[in-house]
Amino acid sequence: MQSFRLNGSRVLEVELRGDAVRAASGAMIAYTGDVAFKSAGMGGGDGIRAAIKRRATGESVSLMRCSGKGTVWFAKDAMEIVVIDLAGDTLKVESEQLLVVSDSLRTDVAFAGLRGASSGQGLFTTTVTGSGPLALLSAGGPPIALEVSPQYPLVVDPQAFVASRGQLNQTFVTDVSWRNLVGEGSGEAFSLRFDGTGVVYIQPEER
Amino acid sequence: MAFEQINHKVVSTAVAPGREVLARRGAMLAYTGDVGFSPVHTGPGGIGGLAGRAVAGEHVSMMVAQGSGTVYYGFAGLYVTIIELDGSAPLSVEADRLVAHDAALQSTVVFLGEGGGLRGMVRGAVSGQGLFTTQLHGVGSVAVMSHGGTIALPVRSGEPTTVDPQAYVGHVGNVEAKVSLNASWRDAVGRGSGEAVQLKMSGSGTVYVQASEQKIR
Repeated sequence: MQSFRLNGSRVLEVELRGDAVRAASGAMIAYTGDVAFKSAGMGGGDGIRAAIKRRATGESVSLMRCSGKGTVWFAKDAMEIVVIDLAGDTLKVESEQLLVVSDSLRTDVAFAGLRGASSGQGLFTTTVTGSGPLALLSAGGPPIALEVSPQYPLVVDPQAFVASRGQLNQTFVTDVSWRNLVGEGSGEAFSLRFDGTGVVYIQPEER
Repeated sequence: MAFEQINHKVVSTAVAPGREVLARRGAMLAYTGDVGFSPVHTGPGGIGGLAGRAVAGEHVSMMVAQGSGTVYYGFAGLYVTIIELDGSAPLSVEADRLVAHDAALQSTVVFLGEGGGLRGMVRGAVSGQGLFTTQLHGVGSVAVMSHGGTIALPVRSGEPTTVDPQAYVGHVGNVEAKVSLNASWRDAVGRGSGEAVQLKMSGSGTVYVQASEQKIR
């Protein structure tokens, strides 16, 4: 298992021992040792199928593969970082909130329902599957993990949504009325509703 | 006279006769006691220093705080980091990243193209840091600002640390900064890793990097 360590709350330190991680392009701030940085390619390093899907869906993620021996420090726009360990389950994440994924994890594109339309990310979302650590970014402060249980569904602002994990069903809630047309809306016309059991990560800033 | 960290973005320092503090103009947030502020024209580097600064464009108006009291400094909501200098090595830092420093520290403007020749000039040009940098010598404290806070990374001989020029804040010690171009045809077609230009720091000392790739404006 790779070790992802936080140096402060906004810098991630990754030790490479001949293995590799994939990170958001340009997110490296420093490194020591013998590390090579290479674009992970169109599909974010997941082959031609993922690449075609990304092309078709516009859910683009620009990743670079960092491999070798040494220590690499990553950070992006002074955003707070959270490290999540996956154990064979799937995490759905906004592609622009992804900082680093372990090379043992697979990234793909999945249909996300109408949710994507509201956040301007297209109708698709990035999924991460497998076992290993990944680091997510949260703008405006530390992310908040909200639990969803069958009795307590959760509604979040799509612009604050970072990632979700677990057996969750995502639906898109609209609250568009004549008020929105005349500019008297509440400003929260679109929301994301989660039903089921799992965890949703949100950030304190709206994209 | 040390600076005291009030929170991530504000520092305070005591001012006393003979213990003046130089700060970026506009960085004073509040003060208590009997403190006067006046602009510094010649700067601690004397007339030569001023001329050097003007030519270099490495010029940020400073003001000196004199008297006795406590002054609070901060700037534009940016994170402020305190760096203590023990006199063994100078701190190299961009002038626009300086919030405040002890007036006892000697500041000089260094032409980067000198040591590194053409490479040094390339370094300045590509990193957008200009060809000149400010060096602070002596014993004292410096408050440096950054986007998202800085972390200190060790540079050991034989073990160079490479940093992203946009994340570079400054360095202390016997450290040489060299630009290394890691560009390939991939960068030309926009499929690069986004890390084409890197600053290789070798020698021994400490390099400070910020948690962001945004420059101070």
